[in-house]
Amino acid sequence: MSSLALLVVAGVVFRKAGAALVWYDEVASILLVWLTYYGACLAALDRAHIGFPKLVGKLKGTSLLAVLIIRETVVIAFFGLVAWAGWRVLLILDGTYLVSLGWVPAQVTQSVIPIGAILFILSEVCATAVLFRSRSSERSDR
Amino acid sequence: MILLLLFVGLLALIMIDVPIAIALGVVAAIAIAVVDGVAFLPNVALVLFDGARKFTLIAIPLFILAGAIMNASGISRRLIAFASALLGFVRGGLSMVTIGTSLFFAEISGSAVADVAALGSILIPAMERKGYPKEFAAAVMSSSSTLAVVIPPSLPMILYAVMSGTSVVELFVAGIVPGVLGGLLMMGMAYYISVRHGFPVEEAFRWRRVASTFKDAAWALTLPLIILGGIFGGWVTATEGAGLAVVAAIVIGGVIYRELDWRAMRASMVDGARQTAVVMLLVATSALLGDFLTSVQVPQRVAAGIIGLTENPLAIMALLNLFFLAVGLFLHSAAAIILVVPIVMPLVLAAGIDPVHFGLVVTLNLGIGQQTPPVASVLVTACSIAKADVWEVTKVNVYFIAVLLVVLLLVSYVPAVPMALVELLYR
Repeated sequence: MSSLALLVVAGVVFRKAGAALVWYDEVASILLVWLTYYGACLAALDRAHIGFPKLVGKLKGTSLLAVLIIRETVVIAFFGLVAWAGWRVLLILDGTYLVSLGWVPAQVTQSVIPIGAILFILSEVCATAVLFRSRSSERSDR
Repeated sequence: MILLLLFVGLLALIMIDVPIAIALGVVAAIAIAVVDGVAFLPNVALVLFDGARKFTLIAIPLFILAGAIMNASGISRRLIAFASALLGFVRGGLSMVTIGTSLFFAEISGSAVADVAALGSILIPAMERKGYPKEFAAAVMSSSSTLAVVIPPSLPMILYAVMSGTSVVELFVAGIVPGVLGGLLMMGMAYYISVRHGFPVEEAFRWRRVASTFKDAAWALTLPLIILGGIFGGWVTATEGAGLAVVAAIVIGGVIYRELDWRAMRASMVDGARQTAVVMLLVATSALLGDFLTSVQVPQRVAAGIIGLTENPLAIMALLNLFFLAVGLFLHSAAAIILVVPIVMPLVLAAGIDPVHFGLVVTLNLGIGQQTPPVASVLVTACSIAKADVWEVTKVNVYFIAVLLVVLLLVSYVPAVPMALVELLYR
């Protein structure tokens, strides 16, 4: 976030000084993509993604367990697909570079998709483990 | 048939609490595999990358960051003290201070939840100490924060602009009159309730106190002038204005006031990154579904279907209002804008409704949705700060929701309310 802020301000200052940074909006947009996918992993760890937990919250016992297993399978399968698709794209992009910064390989910027997807899966697994542990300790407290 | 399956699948995934962003991605990926073939699945990665690569949306993390800096550097505290000196002499003055500061704070952060989280932790306990019921304190804080997103800058407006291809700056300008009007109406309602229940007067009006708190808050008061002046004056874009907000908040909070709490700011930044990612992942996966829906012409079909029923713009506006109010009951405003706006835009254009005007209607509808359970992020944040029951707060909040509905009706059916300034400055 701070890099984004610095870059946007630098972009304005340089443009007003008559020496516009040609790479500024392309790099800023890529930073936003990185913030999106790496930040999404952080949000997955805290189960902070927007959902509709009202119905699942009313379930108990086996039905809750079944829904949680289906939910996690769907999430992990989707990011598994994204990681695979991202990897395929990285292979295709071999030898291509950014438009404004001709020395930066497009593979570096696009790597956020497969890496972010794998990190998302790991975050989801950790968050689920924590959830199960807290539920089982609640049950044993009772 | 495929559309029906897609809709049912999406609903089923959302009902079992799959995050909405991921549910969108899952149904879109399945639709691509079925309709276009498995060979097209690598496109998912390309669309997810390009979907999140929108320069205008950089404003979202930057405004969140500016709000975090304001809160960690004593700027909010000074604004509250100044508002208190100005309005504290009226019966129920602290509730008006809450409304005034809330509207002002939103001129920098652009987010209703940030507004409640930042100001609520100071103002709700202050109101309780003065003898206001905690339900009333939470209701005032919550509803005034929702109204605040109409006042520029506004994160929902930025999202709407990107999803509908509308000018962010024109949307910001269109929000000024409804925001100020709504603020005054809400203060009137707070005064009426305060007189009826005998809520206290905060302090006697003293020019000396107004002058001293103004002097203390003067730099903070320049923040919106710098940000909005830069944007409306055409000196910077909305995204760059957000960068400017960060720098101005650091200079005022860190250099002039010398009160920047770096530890609090770091925690707020992590939280801000998380908030940004949650919204942006929705934007990215909705691009995946949006591409598919556009390829099968769903928005055009929806428009043709409703235009077949009625061509009267007033009736279409009424239908859209009811639809967005219903959507707001169940969906977070960012999710609702991202999911629904691209689908209804062809209808809005076909009915001859100005997209900027409609942007205000959408923002207000979804703002009201943030006040109405079951899904009411702003209300829930205010209730958790006040440690009050959501339903008890809602019983008080209905008065303020009524004010928001009056503003919505004015904005919907008197287009001059949002559009006069836009016509004057940009058309």
